[in-house]
Amino acid sequence: MITTTTTKTVGPAVTDARRGATNRIITRTRRHDLAAVPAAITSEWIKLRSLRSNRAIFGLTIVAGVVMSWVLATFVKTDPYDHLPFTVANTFMTATWLTTVMAVIVGILMYTSEVQHGTIANTIAAQPARWVSVAGKATVIAGFGLVLGVVGIIAGFGSAVASGMPMGDLSGAIAATAWGLVLTSLAAVMGLGVGMIIRHSSAAVSMTLVWTFVLENLIRSMAPAGASRLLPFSAANGMLGIRSAGDTATTLAAALSTTQDAVLFGGYALAAIVAGTVMLYRRDAD
Amino acid sequence: MITVSALTKRYGSRVAVSDMTFDVAAGRVTGFVGPNGAGKSTTMRMMVGLTRPDHGDVRYHGVSYTRLQHPTRVVGSVLDAGAMHPGRTARNHLEAMAALSRIPARRVDEVLHQVGLDSAADQRAGGFSLGMRQRLVLAGALLGEPDVLLLDEPSNGLDPDGIRWLRTSLSDFAAGGGTVFVSSHLIGELAMFADDLVVVGGGRLLAAEPVAATLARGETTVVVRTPDAAELSRLLDRRDLSITVDGDRLTAKGITLAAVSQIAFDHRIQVIEVTEVSRSLEEILLDMTGSTAEFAAA
Repeated sequence: MITTTTTKTVGPAVTDARRGATNRIITRTRRHDLAAVPAAITSEWIKLRSLRSNRAIFGLTIVAGVVMSWVLATFVKTDPYDHLPFTVANTFMTATWLTTVMAVIVGILMYTSEVQHGTIANTIAAQPARWVSVAGKATVIAGFGLVLGVVGIIAGFGSAVASGMPMGDLSGAIAATAWGLVLTSLAAVMGLGVGMIIRHSSAAVSMTLVWTFVLENLIRSMAPAGASRLLPFSAANGMLGIRSAGDTATTLAAALSTTQDAVLFGGYALAAIVAGTVMLYRRDAD
Repeated sequence: MITVSALTKRYGSRVAVSDMTFDVAAGRVTGFVGPNGAGKSTTMRMMVGLTRPDHGDVRYHGVSYTRLQHPTRVVGSVLDAGAMHPGRTARNHLEAMAALSRIPARRVDEVLHQVGLDSAADQRAGGFSLGMRQRLVLAGALLGEPDVLLLDEPSNGLDPDGIRWLRTSLSDFAAGGGTVFVSSHLIGELAMFADDLVVVGGGRLLAAEPVAATLARGETTVVVRTPDAAELSRLLDRRDLSITVDGDRLTAKGITLAAVSQIAFDHRIQVIEVTEVSRSLEEILLDMTGSTAEFAAA
């Protein structure tokens, strides 16, 4: 066996002037990395729009908005808490909670599908400053979450009107819409962070759904109101002004303001993205 | 020009790559060979910043890959033929790659044409054969008109025409001054177009040399059929050669056919048949890497 650690030059040296090779040997700087963010955004946008699954989620959001308003108008008719008839004003955003969950899932899949299909290696090989790709993904997915929110709200509003509901008091509609759109954007970013941490599509999606629909409700029912109000989807409910059957005078009194809920939910999204980015830097790109 | 210096990677207690040091010259096709588990893929992944070395580095024209502003315009790499989303078209796949590296969009059509995928440009990659996928990932590597190509098993799944096309493309690329570093388990195939070889085994560098030098490692064997095998054996034995005699058949290692013929002629030994048997590159490499193979058939 030949064992050597001596440097060996294989073959005769040939000029490296090929296609201006030396002109391309530029050492990157922080300024170059910053300047590369728009390119990362364009690339991520191409990836997002070129998949049918994302278009399907877009369609599903419209269907959810239409169906939920129609069901409330046609079958439920009165608010179970106020016992007052539903109006366009208090139903047009009903589907936004579902949109929020879908935004989380799209955010998860944005990263986990790259891992699953091995394209994350292409991304990292093309952009060694890994945070640049994360910034591109976060920007695009936040925008997609926003668009999902807009589409869901328009669909819900249109369906509520078409179902013959009275308009009701629309004075708070703009503020409610704004908070709803902030939520769907942040939810998509949080999903991206969760995907970056867990890296496996079905594990990340199922864990998120179990947390959202089961664990958080269980914790909320057992934990003191002062603690349960700090849970991520309690904050999401707060941003959407959603009340739950489990609400008591104590929980309502402990509720945070909408702005506080938004800051809290944004904090979760930021924490997920930061943790995911740290892990992306620490792990090899498999 | 690629400079690999003291590259080392450990996974727990297992050393995947140990103190790997070699250079790869421009204008040449360099084959990267070794048995399964030899550390080829880990080395190649470290060469494009996907795996962090514990020690050492890889430089392209003196700059580390991860410090290059536009790495894909310097180094085109294919490390996984399956690295594409099955729901995305070939064109979209390349457009996303081009956008990230700020490569003009026109290059997408150019490389699709270059790899012969024009007609499949708008088909989803999920329906591609392995050969088509190989062509698509190769198109991705060529997008940035790089000076260096790093390819891990690029001929997997290609039909004979595809293999010939790949061989010609890589040779042309190198002839134009480009650097080609290609791993393959098809050593016979590699021998047809590689100029140099980097041989690894057990995570260590075994050799880095021109193919001709590797071939020279294989001792030539001369087989002689003669009624005087014992006498010829006695004459050759003086030269300290490895000789075996089986009836009228004498086998001598480490001597040329011409030399054996001359000795027989000088001593008036009748020769019925004389043959020189050269060892194939594959046999030589198997000998070189044999003791380092992590996985071997029983």
